[in-house]
Formats: sequence, C-alpha cells, structure tokens
Amino acid sequence: MAETKAANKILLVEDEFNIAKLFSYNLTKAGYQCEVATNGREGYEKAISFQPDLIISDVMMPEVDGYEFRKMLLQNDELKKIPFVFLTAKGEEDDILQGYDLEIEDYILKTSSPKVVLAKVSAILKTLEKERSKVVDEVSKAADSMGVKVVPEDFPIFDGFEIKHWHQPHKNVPGGDFIDYIKIDDDNIVIVLGDTMGKRWGAWYFAVAYAGYVRSATRFVLEATKDYKPSTILQKVNESVFKDERISDVFITLSIVIINKSQKIAHYSGAGDLPLFLKSKSEVNSFISNGLLLGFSQSGEYQDHELNLQTGDEIFLVTDGITEARNSNGEMFREEGFIEFLKNVSQNQDTLEELKLKMQEFTSGNYDDDVSVIKIKVI
Amino acid sequence: MEIIEEIIDDIVVEIVNLDRATLREAEDLKYKTTSKINAGYNKFIIDLSNVEFIDSTFLGVIVGTLKKVVKSGGDLKLIGFQPNVRSMFELTRLFRVFETYTELQEAIRSFHK
Repeated sequence: MAETKAANKILLVEDEFNIAKLFSYNLTKAGYQCEVATNGREGYEKAISFQPDLIISDVMMPEVDGYEFRKMLLQNDELKKIPFVFLTAKGEEDDILQGYDLEIEDYILKTSSPKVVLAKVSAILKTLEKERSKVVDEVSKAADSMGVKVVPEDFPIFDGFEIKHWHQPHKNVPGGDFIDYIKIDDDNIVIVLGDTMGKRWGAWYFAVAYAGYVRSATRFVLEATKDYKPSTILQKVNESVFKDERISDVFITLSIVIINKSQKIAHYSGAGDLPLFLKSKSEVNSFISNGLLLGFSQSGEYQDHELNLQTGDEIFLVTDGITEARNSNGEMFREEGFIEFLKNVSQNQDTLEELKLKMQEFTSGNYDDDVSVIKIKVI
Repeated sequence: MEIIEEIIDDIVVEIVNLDRATLREAEDLKYKTTSKINAGYNKFIIDLSNVEFIDSTFLGVIVGTLKKVVKSGGDLKLIGFQPNVRSMFELTRLFRVFETYTELQEAIRSFHK
C-alpha cells in the first residue's frame, strides 16, 4: 500500500541567531520541515519530541556543544540512528576528523552557499533512503530464503471453517506481530496471534524467535496430552521464556485459539492480549483472557474460555494496531469502534475486506503500528 | 526535558512529561533506568500523571525495569493514571503486578514501610 510522502524533518541546532534564521529559511523554502534548537541540551530534547529525519548541528555552542550533543545521541539506541551532520565555521582537518569519529554523515562549512547546503542535505537523505530500501529488501530476501516467516502466506484449509488474516506491517517493514496456524490433526487446529513489544526489525527478530517458541511448546504439549488446551500451551511458552535470560527484556502478548471441528467448539486463552471478539448474527461479545504478558512471571495464571459455535459465527483476534489506529484528529479507533464496526457489517459481506476499507478510511493509510487481524468463520 | 529524573533518598523518580509516551521516548527511559540500575539503585517510581497515551514499547520498558529491580530485591511503583493509560494497564493485566499510587509522597512512604 502506498504511503503519503511527508516532508522530511530537519532539526537545526545552532546558537547564532542569524545563521539559524538563514539556514532555517532556506530549508523551509526547499520543502523541509525545520525546527531550531540553540544548544545541544535543547537539541536532544527536540530530537526526542520532533523525531527529525536529519540533524544539522553547530559545533561551538554554549552549555552543551556539538560534540557532547552527538555523544548524548549516540547513547540513545533510537536517536543515534538519525543521520547527523556538523555545521561549522571551522574547516581545520582535526575538527573534521573528530566529527567523523562520532559517526556523522557529513560536515558542512557555514560559509557554503545555501545551494550547496541544500544539495548536500538532499543527497544525504536520498542516499539513506536508498540504503534503507536496499537493507529492507536484502533482509526480506534473506528471511524468505531461510523460510523465516512471521506471517504465513497462505490461509489454512480446515473444512467447515473459513480462516483468514489481514496483516499490514508498519511502514512495510517486518515488525513484531506474528501469526501461526498449526494443524494438530483433521479435527483440531491451533491458531496463534502474537505481538512483540517494540517495533520494526528488533521486534521482528524476537517475533521470529517467539513464533518458534510457540511452535515447539505446542508440539511439546501435544505430545504429552490429548487434552488440547490453549492455557497449557501458554504456560509452557511462558516457562521457557521466563527462564531464557537472552530475551528477559522482551515481552509479548499472545492469543491462542484451538478449534475442534466436529464439536464446533473453540477454546481460547490469552496473555496480556486484546479480547477475543465473537460475532453471532448481529450480536458481538468480547471474551477477556486473564493471563499476564509472557515472560513476566513464572506463573502466568492462564485460563481457558470455551465457546460453542453456530454456523455463521465469526471469531476475531486483533492486535493493538487496530484499536490504537488514529484518525487525522488523533482520535483512536478503540475496542468500542471495532465492536461497532462488527455490528454494522451484514452477514453476506466479507468482514475482513470491509475492515480493510474501514481502516483505510479512518486512518487515511497512516498506521502507527503493525496491523494484524485473524478471522475464523463457521461455514 | 520530557523525562525528568530526581533522586529522593535512595529512590529514583522518573517524571514523564509527555502526552504520548512511545517508541522513541521509551529508549530515553530505558537509558535512564538502566544507568541507575547499573549504579546500584533498585527502587523506582515512575510518574505517569501527564501521560495521555502509552504504547506497548514504552510499557515494555516499564515492565522490563520492574522485572530487573525485583530480582535485586527492589520495586517499581507507579503514580498517576489518565483513563487511556489506566485501560492499557488493565488490558495487559499489569495492574496486578504494579503497586500504584495517586501521590508521589504516598509512593515514597510505601518504600519505607
């Protein structure tokens, strides 16, 4: 899906008023959204609140100078990724070298003409965008070739049920949501929806690991018992995750549904997840699980809900990308919005397709997070 | 600053002055709390009174900090919830694991009991 291209944001950190004004004027005129800070401390605060695409900073400034400012940014895992350019009147080689030691993109002399500055800014942003696309492309290819998928390409075939999902990664970069379908036998299928706290690659990496945990825990539980309960699987995953020091900082919400075809029964249990929604005719009920986020405490206190299903019933599992999606006024879609939407979809409409349209209309295509929804319909 | 840090006795108080506490601010909080944990602190209070929305990444940092300090016999307590933030904690069932207070002094006193 195409995203609306917003103006690149540039943070200019410069204490000399006239120079700040001149650069800010030229950058704004060239179509950039520009904010100015007058020293490194203020620059750091603005870097957090303004979230610029590029930072241009003077070196010599009162309170916190450019070098200190850069060092502060390098301490912050998110802020250090923002490309950084020094702007200085000094052209001495030593100063330039000190700047490059601090992982900067480039160095611009204050005496450069506005045209030169704009050309450099544009070139840096274009190069970074190209690099980003290349990396995304390469990692996606690598992930594909290793068979590492956090969301299956195909929907499962399970007679008497229509199981489908809609997954939209944030900014088209793989993120922390994951979906899995594990067919136990002809009569039972496990449906999994997880959301790793965090976004983009970091979360994607853990989502891959967690998807693996869930699969192996499911297998383990199924080998030990024929009494298929989502809570047992959750407890097993939770124990493994809790003991694993390597992922002690990672937290995850998980919803698990096991469908029994012949009995038309769904068992549901969750860990810190959003409720399960059941649409039966025009009535919508939500079922709230009791379990804690995975990995937080040894005993997650997971319990099961048992749902007896009728033909035409639809179950929905969603992540917070739906409920926390915002419109242009900053208002959230919320659980209430989702329930209202479900009530208004008629029996002969495809709810998932209608939801895509609804969310597109609500957000204008600007999502803050991964969006994932699984629909299970009794046919 | 968006997140102001104060030390009261041996307690680290992080005051979050943000409408929306999300991914980028989460890194800032993580940096601050990790530095203090490494310096030997294990009692934390996070003041969320000014926060209108908290995303799962920011929440993850709070949860991660709690998990770390509990290991060394400490605790992390929270103060001030606006409705959206309250529902986020309710939704994830984290109300059960955090002690919450309405006033800073009350939270400080709870550490001295």
